[in-house]
Amino acid sequence: MAGTDSVGLLALSSTALERISLSAVRDAVQYFTPDLVTIPGPRDPVAYATVREAARNIPVLHPQLATDGRHVRHYRYTPETGVQETSGECPLHDTIDLLAVQHCSVLSALESQLSTGERRTGSDAGTFLIVPDLAVEWDTTALSTTLPHAEELAAISATLPEPVTVLAGGQPPTYAHEWQLVHNATPVRVPMAGLGATDSADSMVGHCSCTTHGKAVAMAVDCDQFGLKALNGVGEATADRLRGEGCRTKSDVRDLAVSELVGLPGVGRATAERIHAHADVISSGEPLVLTNKTPVKTRDDRPPLCLDIETDGLSPSIIWQFGVYDPATDSYQAFIETTHPRDPAPVLEAFIIWLLANHRDRTILTWNGHRFDYRYIRQFLHRFFPEYVAAWDDLWTYDLYKWAVRDGNALLPGRTNKLDHVARALGYEDASTGLTGAQTATAYQAFMRNPDDPETEPDWDRHRAYCEDDCRALWHVYEAITQANRRDVTDSGTGGADGQQAGLTDF
Amino acid sequence: MNDTPPTDTNSRIDLTGTDLVETFPRTGLTPDSPNVDIIELPAKPADTVPPTDVLRSSLAEPYPYDLFSHQAKALSALENGDNVAVTTSTSSGKTHIYGLQIARNLLEAGVLNDDGTRAADGNDASTALCVYPMKALTKDQHDALEALYDQLGLDIRVRIYDGDTTGDRRAIRERADVILTNFAGLNVYLEHHDKWSRFYSALDMVAIDESHTYTGIEGMHVAWILRRLQRVAGYWGGGPQYALTSATIGNPQEHSEELLNAPVTVVDQDGSPHGPRDIVLWNPPPRAQTRDETPDEYSLERESEDERAGDTDGTSTDDASEVAFVAERAPASVEAPKVFDHLTARDIRTLLFCPSRKLTELSVRRAAAHRRSNSRAYGRSSASEYEAYNAGLGRRTRHSRENQFKSGTLTGLATTSALELGIDIGTLDATVLMGYPGQRQAFWQRIGRAGREASRSLAVMVGDHRTLDQYVMSHPEYLLETDVEDAVVDISNNAVFATHLLCAADEIALDGKDIDTFAAEDRLRAAVTMWREAGFVDGYLDATVHYSGPGRPQTRVNLYGTTDTDYQLRLADGVDRERWELPEDLDLEPIDRNRAYRDYHEGAVRLQHGQQFEVVAVDDERPQPVIELEPVDCEYYTRSRSKVNVLDAQSERSRDVNGFTLHFGRGTVLVHHHAYDEMYVGNSEPKQRMIPTDTAPILMDTQLCWLEVPDDIEAALIRKYNEYGVETGVDPDQAQIAHLGYVAGLHAAEHATIQTAPLELRVDTNDLGGLATLVMDTHYAHPEYDEIADSVGDSFEAAMAALEQRTRQLGAKPSSGWFIYDGVDGGLGFARAIYENFEALAERARDQLRGCQCGQPNGCPACTFDENCGNDNKPLLRAAAIDVLEHLLGDADRDALESYLPDEYGGERRPRLYYS
Repeated sequence: MAGTDSVGLLALSSTALERISLSAVRDAVQYFTPDLVTIPGPRDPVAYATVREAARNIPVLHPQLATDGRHVRHYRYTPETGVQETSGECPLHDTIDLLAVQHCSVLSALESQLSTGERRTGSDAGTFLIVPDLAVEWDTTALSTTLPHAEELAAISATLPEPVTVLAGGQPPTYAHEWQLVHNATPVRVPMAGLGATDSADSMVGHCSCTTHGKAVAMAVDCDQFGLKALNGVGEATADRLRGEGCRTKSDVRDLAVSELVGLPGVGRATAERIHAHADVISSGEPLVLTNKTPVKTRDDRPPLCLDIETDGLSPSIIWQFGVYDPATDSYQAFIETTHPRDPAPVLEAFIIWLLANHRDRTILTWNGHRFDYRYIRQFLHRFFPEYVAAWDDLWTYDLYKWAVRDGNALLPGRTNKLDHVARALGYEDASTGLTGAQTATAYQAFMRNPDDPETEPDWDRHRAYCEDDCRALWHVYEAITQANRRDVTDSGTGGADGQQAGLTDF
Repeated sequence: MNDTPPTDTNSRIDLTGTDLVETFPRTGLTPDSPNVDIIELPAKPADTVPPTDVLRSSLAEPYPYDLFSHQAKALSALENGDNVAVTTSTSSGKTHIYGLQIARNLLEAGVLNDDGTRAADGNDASTALCVYPMKALTKDQHDALEALYDQLGLDIRVRIYDGDTTGDRRAIRERADVILTNFAGLNVYLEHHDKWSRFYSALDMVAIDESHTYTGIEGMHVAWILRRLQRVAGYWGGGPQYALTSATIGNPQEHSEELLNAPVTVVDQDGSPHGPRDIVLWNPPPRAQTRDETPDEYSLERESEDERAGDTDGTSTDDASEVAFVAERAPASVEAPKVFDHLTARDIRTLLFCPSRKLTELSVRRAAAHRRSNSRAYGRSSASEYEAYNAGLGRRTRHSRENQFKSGTLTGLATTSALELGIDIGTLDATVLMGYPGQRQAFWQRIGRAGREASRSLAVMVGDHRTLDQYVMSHPEYLLETDVEDAVVDISNNAVFATHLLCAADEIALDGKDIDTFAAEDRLRAAVTMWREAGFVDGYLDATVHYSGPGRPQTRVNLYGTTDTDYQLRLADGVDRERWELPEDLDLEPIDRNRAYRDYHEGAVRLQHGQQFEVVAVDDERPQPVIELEPVDCEYYTRSRSKVNVLDAQSERSRDVNGFTLHFGRGTVLVHHHAYDEMYVGNSEPKQRMIPTDTAPILMDTQLCWLEVPDDIEAALIRKYNEYGVETGVDPDQAQIAHLGYVAGLHAAEHATIQTAPLELRVDTNDLGGLATLVMDTHYAHPEYDEIADSVGDSFEAAMAALEQRTRQLGAKPSSGWFIYDGVDGGLGFARAIYENFEALAERARDQLRGCQCGQPNGCPACTFDENCGNDNKPLLRAAAIDVLEHLLGDADRDALESYLPDEYGGERRPRLYYS
């Protein structure tokens, strides 16, 4: 993902690598197209060799292996050169530096290299410090946490003029926390993200975009989403058998005939067709609808309203933004609480009045709304405007995620079922707001803490654009599904003795 | 349940305690025998109030009984808006208190019309939640409430919602007026509270039945689940009132308020009647100490042994004068079935309470053997009419036996505690208890099953040769004392709190409103900061704190442990359930690490639900450790050997008790359950000793209570008991250890204070441990030194070396005494309760040590021994322990010590000795 202003770092822990095949590692590398791959956690030569084999043209970083005294590895990125290893001399000002230590005990040596100028980093762009064995420790009996080597981390952070972000090998990829540390009696803020070598995240593949501003934007994908197991209906046993048949990639599976798949133990006709269809969907990037059901019903010909909400977290105390995209008029309407972050009522009331007054006969569409958007809208109405609950219940609401994924009506080409991944896999070009759902929640939280401080006031336009982008992405996915090829797998067995006419192999 | 007139038509035979003793076929047994004690309790009339005084006429008129005074008082308090805790006897109509209050609420809210019909199909105005400790009781109470509402002509929807509920769960959430569940279920259901919005927004009554059972670990989880429930109900606008019903406990106010975090009105004046009742305390006949290496009649397993058990009876006599000292008696498991048989032979409807399922079945066989071998007394023709009753029997068998007993086809049931709580089996005349059930309230609960209204009843408790039983046998007044055990609930365990905090944040984001309502500010902030830094929550208390960890934190709550990595017990693969008659739902509670290492190491043989199981595998490499069990039938059980050390104890509170200093605080306990012995079931003699467990030592941060003996008493007692050696039970090669007599006294006093703790407190001695030592100070944290626990890892050797070094560093003469600690990471409040009640415990311990008839310097299982002792109950010295406790209680003459004091005491170099 060699973009203009960030380095893509793929983290494959050795436990994740044990769970997936070499071809799945290749698949992951191909999917993320990282600039650099790292293997956090314990020293593991086999894991290193596996990744080297799978990612031949990309630097692979496993400093734990060092036997030649190179306890610090230093990589540098500029848009012109990409990522290159360096010995740490004379950088340009705007290089993104990635420093990796062999283990925690090397941190103090690194600190002295940096403070004496023996090793130098670009001062105008973020520096990232990869510590493969760093993990936060906590003690529930004492109610306290310990960040091992906090002193050295604070010292390194204080020594360098540019923002320094720590990438901790032993924290899950979903981890993000800004530590308040102290160096020479001065407070130092040290942001930290995780690379995923933990018990709880041992099946996750982590990807981290390291930006020039020093931000680490992380995402995690289950390792079963790579290789043959990414195919709907393929588990460990079937994946092994497919490899036995010579299939290494999903394209290999697509090239098999369904009848060959049916020959495998434990694979029936319906499963075989589903596997084959999914291989085709992933390779082609085209969705496939498996039933003759439609995702939504409307009362007239008008398309559904696409709804998205923003909250202050996963157990919301406020829904502070309601965004509604109307494909019929190509217009977008947002309701945002910009003054009273502690009062969920006004923005909710504005939304429900507008919705009921203008669109009571329209169908509403969300992505995962039954578990989030609808659940909380209803919960908040129940608490603040119970008089509207019945009218809300009368609206026709649909959840495209539930219809496609949970109810199994469609196969989609994304590696995860997150809306932005699915939309991107379906060719949606997003508005590049650079935000994630978690970031919008965090930004609003900061606003809640200091509503009168202009410093913490969110950039409302950017947040509005983010929500609108999600609504439009949803419309894009909906359109792709309604225009997709359609095959009813469940009917296929009735087509005749060989089942081929009605089967998925026809196209 | 309310009293109802007896429905069975069996002829009732009054049998007094004296009659029982006189008719029992044993030579020499008379009411004056030292082995029996008869307590006669007079009848107590009912104290009632007309229902019209308390209830609106639409309820009072159809209500077929007068209200007992305690019911009336509780209903008035509820009408005032108070939370109430009702602590009265079994079958005193406690269910009707909240049952009537619920009916009153529904009428007042207009859900019901005055004629009892529904005003509307829905109910958004008044709902109630009733929580029970076990599913069997939930079903029983469901039927009781339905019966009450039928009787009152009220159309109230009472529904059970728990793990067994099938069908339309949503309809229950959305339509029920009253929902019955348990705390394990509630813990999980709180997550999706939005689906319960109707129910919670109308919630105005929460009934917590048998609330005395929520103590220790389970009690603290329940306290936190109730705080979470309160947050959720408050969120939806519900403001429930609480009604707790409880057996009699010593501290109902404190216990209830700790559970609820709200003020409670206690109603404890029992207005229900009972007939005259005789309690017989029955000690089995003494027997000479045997050194038999083979299992004898004590065996639980062998039919032939049972026959022998029956046969021995004809020859046994009850002339205690032949044996001056009693160090051993026939076990209650052999004796109680005989009494049970005797009663049923005389057509007395009797329940025999047994500690295990296996014993219920064995008891029926032993009783039958007794009948056969005493055919002269009972007549040849009389057939035994009793059966076993336990949860392992399957529902159909259980129901059929309940009905057979109710109809009179069966005269006796040998049961586990399954029939202790209100399951309807009709009326009965007598109860026999196999051993003291551990708690006075359990004792009263069990014997309260017999006798209704004015009818006479009989209770026989057959004692075992154990500290608690023998204490009760020799101090029968203990049973009648009005202040019963305190129930201990402690919410200071941070690990448990931290887990529930994650659940609370997942249910509704935490914010400033939770300060001091959910937890005190400092504690709340510390926990939020910890979880945020660890990556499990987002946000800050001055905005909102959201759970952000792996899904469903509620599943991390383990009601039976303090951490989420407790050990699951499960059957090994391939176990033939049918062959072993194991029920499908064999319910094995998970256990914490300390118990797992102590009692469930590989090779351990343990009793679970009355069945012996051998541990065949322990897998603790995985995130959720698992212990695999196989049922076995073997002649031995196992007992582990432990080494214990206390590190860095830090006093938080202390007080002076007659010159002794008593402390409560926290510290680290290092325990190594390093080896185990195999012991014959029959005679508790070792089969094989010191088999290594191959487990690692455990470090626990926990709560401790400890006592320091004043220097002059120590110096005098060291000299007084200077001559003791092998008398303390140690092997001859250890008899020369300096100060052995004194430290053996401390060790015995430590055991006795732990063993008698259940006489005052609802504590489980399996969760307590102790350490007696001559060098207390070495085990303390010292500001000028680093904490030892930080540097020794889990190495026992490193800890010992560090303690040796610390002893040298400290130089000054340390004090002696003993520690008692909570054997659970984070602690569970037992040590704290012992700190607060230490004198009462010491008095019980002293009385028991002094009164024991064993005549052995080192004591016996009835006074100084502790079955969890890691040092094989060596060294122990009863006399020295009595002296220490007498001085502690201020009952000994300090001047009498003078003669033992050296001219100049103190400053001697002492050995580093300690015994756990």
